[in-house]
Amino acid sequence: MQIEVSKIERVDLFASKPRRGDLIFFGFAKTAAYFAFSLVFLVFIFLSLRSASTFKEQGLAFVTGSTWDQASNTFQIMPMLVGSLVLVVLALFVAVPSSIAVAYFIEFMAPARVARWTTNIVDLLAALPSIVIAIWGAFVFTPVAAGWGRLLNQYFGSIPVFRNDVDNYYRSPFIGGWILAIMMIPIITSVSREVISRVDKELVNAAYALGATRFSAMRRVILPTARGGILGGILLGIGRGLGETIAILYTINLIFHVNIIRILENRGGSVAPMIASYYGEADGNAISALLAAGVVLFLLTLIVNMFASFIVQRSEKKMAS
Amino acid sequence: MTNLMTVDYGPMPRPTGVMPWKNRSKSMLVSIGLASLLPIAFTLLVAQHYAMPGATALIAMFVPLQLVAAGAAATFVGGRRGIADAILTVLVIFLVLLVAIVLGSVLFNLIRKGIRALSLQFLFYDSTYVSSSTSLDYGGVYHAIIGTVILVSLAAAVTIPLGIGVGVFLTETRSRMRGPVRFITQSMTGLPSIVSGLFVYAFFIISGFSEQVGITGAVALLLLMLPTVARLSEEVLKLVPQDLRSAAMALGAPRNKAFFQVILPAARSGVITAILLGLARIVGETAPLLMTTVPSDSKNYNPFSGPMSTIPTYIYKWVSAGSDIAVQRAWGAALVLLILVGIIFTFARIFGKQKF
Repeated sequence: MQIEVSKIERVDLFASKPRRGDLIFFGFAKTAAYFAFSLVFLVFIFLSLRSASTFKEQGLAFVTGSTWDQASNTFQIMPMLVGSLVLVVLALFVAVPSSIAVAYFIEFMAPARVARWTTNIVDLLAALPSIVIAIWGAFVFTPVAAGWGRLLNQYFGSIPVFRNDVDNYYRSPFIGGWILAIMMIPIITSVSREVISRVDKELVNAAYALGATRFSAMRRVILPTARGGILGGILLGIGRGLGETIAILYTINLIFHVNIIRILENRGGSVAPMIASYYGEADGNAISALLAAGVVLFLLTLIVNMFASFIVQRSEKKMAS
Repeated sequence: MTNLMTVDYGPMPRPTGVMPWKNRSKSMLVSIGLASLLPIAFTLLVAQHYAMPGATALIAMFVPLQLVAAGAAATFVGGRRGIADAILTVLVIFLVLLVAIVLGSVLFNLIRKGIRALSLQFLFYDSTYVSSSTSLDYGGVYHAIIGTVILVSLAAAVTIPLGIGVGVFLTETRSRMRGPVRFITQSMTGLPSIVSGLFVYAFFIISGFSEQVGITGAVALLLLMLPTVARLSEEVLKLVPQDLRSAAMALGAPRNKAFFQVILPAARSGVITAILLGLARIVGETAPLLMTTVPSDSKNYNPFSGPMSTIPTYIYKWVSAGSDIAVQRAWGAALVLLILVGIIFTFARIFGKQKF
């Protein structure tokens, strides 16, 4: 005789009489989950509420103008927004190749012991608080990187990117980009490693057996399979980079004048450090403007992060199937 | 009866010493050796001669030379297909070394500069009567350490039950909201710390609920720690085998007892790791504390009133003060912070390695 399994599964043993302990237990879990869920909206609503006056007074010029003047009540943050993007792009130039290289090195090239050490290095880098990177960046790295900037200007000064008319190589977006890259590398590496390690080893070995070299296996097998996950990791890194405050505050000058391509000059910008550094001397209207900048930053990072977690989840599902 | 015809020789012994892929001809060895030695030698000579700074010589000369040399050797050994391989190998190793050097430089400088300020008195005295020119023999970071410990423990005391609660919701229930909650908490892990500070500032301080005291800082830290703990505890609770849950149910345990007596103990090491990683995330946070607390120079054990320093804001304060001695204090405090993070991570490693 055959038992109808489907019927058994439908019997819900616990629906009939929920116990008090369970009610409390799951009630708490539910409350916690809804609390975490509503936090995003709480943050967004409160920040928008408190900064509504700025958005109303400044209008669209808040994100397209470049004057910040407390006396005349003009608050516009475009140089900071553009500066954030410049820093992130600069950082990506260093962080993306390094992260993929480290992930590839750990998974495919290094002997087990070296791979373990490299993993530890990346974990340690992730563990460094940003104030520690900030103080290192300001007092140790800045002089070194300023020297690099001077050399770049000396030999490639004719390229607009490396032009410098102020002869000051300190506190430039170039340096900020390096610092940001250091903060992004652990994130991108750990996500890329995760997806690269899930690439079917049989597939890679099959490619080698067919005569693939390291390079062609990387280009034709590993990267195409892991692409989605790596992209998600890069987006997470960008989210981190946009929100980084203290390390950028210590390594670049915040100037309210849009500077996109002169990366060696000592004028840059970024939203998060701007909020931290202007907050001390701000009065009512300026506070509201800083909160408005916070709203813009929040939305920007939230969109990037949501996109990232969406891509990572999708690629995980794809690789699992 | 055909079986009788075949003779079973047993497993064939694997021939030893025959590893064709390990064969290297002499010319190959020579070219590989030359490719790795020549660039080093050349760079050293030129850098010595022109007194180039090390990092510049490394990046501007050694790496390009090494690329060319490796490419040449690869062409010699493996034909045209070898070039891309050689370049990939050299670049990967160089980038890994770059990351290692950066970390090494951070740690080396932190220890070298921090150790000067570090002493028992630095750890156990506060900074009352200390100005930016006071010698390092006076004053210390004690008030900041207790500030950090108080704020972080307050944040953790709220976050740990809440975070695990979210994990329970995501793994033990069949609610339809699981997807959205998971998605939002995952996105919240990337919340910029300054935004959390701004929110607390707008919510508590502008609204007049509270001054800038310890507890407002703790709330800002809570917002940053909660998503991390929630997401990680979901991951570890998911790893507990489904059979354990079913077994507990089959023995008649109510689900809350099943969780506290079976599932949580099974996932204990993972949950502890999740908590420790959450702690490590917030212990060094600076930006939100700049907005939500006021630094002080003396001890304050009460998070509900008065200014309260933490190690990150202490570092910020002394770096802003600018003088050499002040910056040395900041390096010392940064080393203390790193030691704190190191302790947390060592615990995380120990618990993370335990298997259930």
